[in-house]
Amino acid sequence: MRFAALLAAVLVPLTAQEIKMPPGLDKLAAKAEESVDITLDSSMLRMAARFLSDKDADEALARKAISGLRSITVHSFQFANDGQYDPADVAAIRSQLQAPPWSRMLGVKSRSTGEDVDIYFKVDAGGQLGGIFLLCAAPRELTLVSLVGTIDPEHLADLGGQFHIPALDFDYHRFRGAK
Amino acid sequence: MIALVLPLLLLVSATASAGGHEFDDLVKAIERHYGTRRTHIPLMGVANLFVKVAHPAGTSGLKLALFDNLTVSDEDAAQLNRFMEAAAGGGLHPTIRTHSRGGEAAFLYTGEAGRNTRVLIATFDRNQATVIEVTVSMEVLMKLIQSPGDANQMFGIGS
Repeated sequence: MRFAALLAAVLVPLTAQEIKMPPGLDKLAAKAEESVDITLDSSMLRMAARFLSDKDADEALARKAISGLRSITVHSFQFANDGQYDPADVAAIRSQLQAPPWSRMLGVKSRSTGEDVDIYFKVDAGGQLGGIFLLCAAPRELTLVSLVGTIDPEHLADLGGQFHIPALDFDYHRFRGAK
Repeated sequence: MIALVLPLLLLVSATASAGGHEFDDLVKAIERHYGTRRTHIPLMGVANLFVKVAHPAGTSGLKLALFDNLTVSDEDAAQLNRFMEAAAGGGLHPTIRTHSRGGEAAFLYTGEAGRNTRVLIATFDRNQATVIEVTVSMEVLMKLIQSPGDANQMFGIGS
């Protein structure tokens, strides 16, 4: 119900409330096999939106997805061995997402792979969506994605694979139906 | 040899007009930080380093500086990040940084240049570094965003 109200709301941006990254995260790059940090601001996203074609189905979806965003930030680390990052660092991020305006909208934990995926929505007092935070923690991988601005939740998966955002097997309509 | 080097020199030096001084600032900062000088391109052949600068479609205004024999072995990713934060960017926006355990790192800064994007790229590979400034189309920028570490290859710079 709460989710339906969220969807029905007109999507307007909120004032950005940055999630503070733990200091340990900066040192993780030294332990990681590969690390990627991306920050795309609104001007870059505007340019990207102009470039993406309406004729190509995937590009059209991505274009729609980024049209209301003000920034995309991605921190991605891949490790050669398990246990290279400190779970306390991940917990420090999660703790910032436990209270309003953030709500955890989806959490998937895989026993077989150890992958732990959480999606948080930032919702203002009027029920409007202003940001999404994605946390993917696996034994050998840690990815943090922050989307600031307006995005229709059903377009979230369309950003998977773009801008180093992991592919998201997230069907919003199915998820909404299950709520 | 001269026929090979001359167009390269012209290409590199004649395109220094566009944009600000971020390229020069970063080159000087690397020289100061590592106590080195950029490698003069005419000496590349002598140094047994083969350099071929390509000019792929969708790019213009290329500036290039190469550095050899950097002493970066004791510098970790966090230290390199701090150096680049202090040294690079200026009016450009820090867009991507990547690190690999093998000591390779790439930093990409961007700024609007009309319909195109001005890009400052710094790549570090053990004891070598490359600084490139170039104006690129959005298509080229998307490729750089997907694989910033491939910038050298994209511009035909190899050793």
